Amino acid sequence: MAAFLRSKCSSVGRTLMGGLGNNLFGAVNSSVETVSRPSHCDPIFQQIRTFIQMRTNLKVVDNSGAKRVMCIQSLRGKKGARLGDTIIGSVKEAQPRGKVKKGDVVYGVVVRAAMKRGRNDGSEIQFDDNAIVLVNNKGELIGTRVFGPVPHELRKKKHLKILALAEHIV
Amino acid sequence: MAAAAAAAASATAAISGALLPHAVACHRLPPRPQLLAVSSSFRRLSLTASPRRASRLVPRADASAEAGEPEPAAEAEAEAVAASTDAEVEEGEAEAAVAVAEEEQEEEDEPPPPSKPPVKFGEIIGILNKQFIEEAEKVKTLPDLRPGDIIELRMQRPNKRRLSLFKGIIIAKHKSGVHTTIRVRRIIAGVGVEITFPIYSPRIKEIKVIRHKKVRRAKLYYLKHKLPRFSTFK
Repeated sequence: MAAFLRSKCSSVGRTLMGGLGNNLFGAVNSSVETVSRPSHCDPIFQQIRTFIQMRTNLKVVDNSGAKRVMCIQSLRGKKGARLGDTIIGSVKEAQPRGKVKKGDVVYGVVVRAAMKRGRNDGSEIQFDDNAIVLVNNKGELIGTRVFGPVPHELRKKKHLKILALAEHIV
Repeated sequence: MAAAAAAAASATAAISGALLPHAVACHRLPPRPQLLAVSSSFRRLSLTASPRRASRLVPRADASAEAGEPEPAAEAEAEAVAASTDAEVEEGEAEAAVAVAEEEQEEEDEPPPPSKPPVKFGEIIGILNKQFIEEAEKVKTLPDLRPGDIIELRMQRPNKRRLSLFKGIIIAKHKSGVHTTIRVRRIIAGVGVEITFPIYSPRIKEIKVIRHKKVRRAKLYYLKHKLPRFSTFK
């Protein structure tokens, strides 16, 4: 009984922490748990819509083995990274037997950002989450698949391989 | 015989200067010359007298007198009337010339009329907005777009031939003249995507309203925190 209560308390604490920060502590929980919780506590919807800067947690949307990466350095600009920029991150969660493991320092390309990004035709695009695709220091993809939609601005950034592997291009 | 007697009576009456009652009713005095001001410019006013020639009035006693030739006495009286009107016209022209000279002096003394107030910058922007909107509506007809409408939007990508399609629900509309925008939301592969489109953009070729979802808000930002099925459209 005590173990049951302890597990419940820990899950609640993790949910609250996930709701407070710009991170995805509760993003990897089961779908049943996500539906049962109140929607305003879901950390995916609690994104702070600003630059991707140091200590921002991002979702990894390829099959490299990492699940969550924390940004430790933005390679573009003083304020932070935006859609299509490259960052350096530290793997915080990883699948077993993946190509990368927890604690690895990796490069990644931001393929989805919660901050608005203007386009040449006057339109603006924003996503509900922050997501990256892991690359090596030469810019080559570590994984072989890319999940979810990616913007066509990546063509201008010369990330054609990501566009080729993406499910949807918006 | 009776007709000849009536004609003679009317002639004698005309000579004596006494007009018959029906002749008095038909008779009109010659009108006074009127001054017509024709403004060719703001500075100069050209005033011209327009005398109306009085039609020669012949006292008629009977319809039979019309058929006959006018008598010399009646002609003499009509000529006298015409001469008097000509004299009046000449006097009117002299008066008009004096009036013109006086008015020119007065106009020289008066300051020039004040110029129109300058058009404000905001008014110019409004005029341009209207013009651009009219031109855009000639090219494509836009439906009435409201928050809650589920729309299908076809747009031209740069360097692409085919039109790309985006389907979603309007969660906000920002009216700003020619830069009026709508924010369209859709769940794609489990991820929420929101794109803001300027509706008068030439890149947007067609906007079609599929159906309207009943909403009671002007901005549907709460859909971000709702279940994905509220923003998913096949």
